[in-house]
Amino acid sequence: MRQFLSERLPLTEFSEHLRKPLPKHINLLFSLGSLAMFLLLLQAATGAFLALYYSPSPEHAHNAVTYISEEVPFGAFVRGLHHWGASAMVIIVFLHLLRVVLYGSYKAPRELTWIFGVLLLLVVLGFGFTGYLLPWDEKAYWATVVGVEIASTAPVLGDFVAKVMRGGTEIGAVTLSRFYALHTIWLPWLAFGLVGVHLFFVRYYGSSGTPQNTPEDMKMGKPFYPHQVFEDVVGMFILFVVLACVALFVPVPLEDVADPTNADYDPRPEWYFLFLFQLLKYFQGPLEIIGTFVIPTVGMVLLLLLPFLDRSERAVLWKRPIALTVTSVSVAAIVGLTILGASSPKLETQEAPQPTAETENTLLTEAVEEAEEVFDFQLTEEEIEGTEGGAEVFDFQLTEEEIEGAREVKQESQ
Amino acid sequence: MEKQGNRRSFLEIATAFIGGVLSLAAGIPLIGFAISPAFKKGESKWVDLGLAGRLKNSRFKKVDYTFTAKDGWVKATKKRSVYVTDAGNGEWSVFSRTCSHLGCLVRWDEKQESFLCPCHGAIFDKNGAVVAGPPPDPLQKLETKVEAGILYVKET
Repeated sequence: MRQFLSERLPLTEFSEHLRKPLPKHINLLFSLGSLAMFLLLLQAATGAFLALYYSPSPEHAHNAVTYISEEVPFGAFVRGLHHWGASAMVIIVFLHLLRVVLYGSYKAPRELTWIFGVLLLLVVLGFGFTGYLLPWDEKAYWATVVGVEIASTAPVLGDFVAKVMRGGTEIGAVTLSRFYALHTIWLPWLAFGLVGVHLFFVRYYGSSGTPQNTPEDMKMGKPFYPHQVFEDVVGMFILFVVLACVALFVPVPLEDVADPTNADYDPRPEWYFLFLFQLLKYFQGPLEIIGTFVIPTVGMVLLLLLPFLDRSERAVLWKRPIALTVTSVSVAAIVGLTILGASSPKLETQEAPQPTAETENTLLTEAVEEAEEVFDFQLTEEEIEGTEGGAEVFDFQLTEEEIEGAREVKQESQ
Repeated sequence: MEKQGNRRSFLEIATAFIGGVLSLAAGIPLIGFAISPAFKKGESKWVDLGLAGRLKNSRFKKVDYTFTAKDGWVKATKKRSVYVTDAGNGEWSVFSRTCSHLGCLVRWDEKQESFLCPCHGAIFDKNGAVVAGPPPDPLQKLETKVEAGILYVKET
């Protein structure tokens, strides 16, 4: 079999490529990229299985997710892996990015590797945003309302983009099917394409190692396979065990089904968007666009162009004062805003007093008498006084035309 | 030799041209298909809130109502929530509860005599004007009418 394949495929070259030596100075932080890829595969696998039971329509989505969590064997576990895996993905991708910044690994010739990595970060956030609408609970609905409204504040095309995202003027059936398609088809294709290109560059340029590697050291380390692969696999195993424990012991939240009129709900996004949620509070009136559009867009553009902006010699972060300052301030801002956003107090309000019960009772009596006259029936005292009976009668809203029509029918029948 | 070079550049240009035409022929309808909902205009219609008598003398009373509207391929029951105030002289004020900032639902607070938004701290006064927080615009005041004893609002 091996001979059959090696006669037809360049197995020897492939094996040699896998055994290419790594830089001499390398550490465990260089496994973070592999962990991110593992999580992407785990999300793809768990997502593919969740899709067997999911139905992307407002009528069925919440029930489907409840069914998965409560009735399907291993359903809560698979959903738990997918839900907590998404959070783990954001953390690991962020740490991977920080590792690249720490060692200046984005510097020449690896600028393209960095750019495709930042695009992958955007795709990961896109997965998060499109994914949490799918359970169609309160959080899903309101976080999406706010998220799409943020897009709508962009100059010129904002309103158009928001309508395209929603598939109309408001969140509904079209939005849910769009987000489902994006989450399960468009973004995965995009993600695997970008990962392919990112990995190609990683292998083409080789691992950057830490900055202490001399040019000679770059090919003096252990071979990628099996040494680095072994460390990566151990990391994946540990990560999976941790995720599995969380999935087993921490229930995935599922709030009540989305209700566009819920008076008591305080909308909050997933934790990884809380910094943006908090940031929006500080830009008022005409400055709103700074929080919703300018800062996120400029931040992303600067991140993409980082290798071209930071032209200093490659060195560890604390030997690059400007990069160290910018990174520290950015990380502190994101973490600080996330904490502030998470600790926002619940809004307490007091409703206005309404007309007295006496007025309500008079109106109720009038409504009952009107209905009794038209439809020729008599309510018992208990029925009139009963809260449910009263409410039923009270909500009985006929137009004048309908009442008139009913009177005529009654007169004709007499 | 020069002839061969010309032929090669012709083939390159022709390949790029055919590729471009193919991409456009497939891409334009696909993009149109995806973005078409953005060009659909919403319809406005009158929706009844209930008996005007029942809402008489209301003070920032929260009223939920439903109406049917087309949502893609679904004839959906849409839910809305408003605050209704009756000045007692036939002048109704119906405020949309949708915050003009990013769409969260505002709540009336009797203590502060203001509408408060639970998301980004917006405060609107009793006329819907922005008092504090990020919203660039006041709360939307819905058009109203009373017909046959029923209070209607214009749903846009």
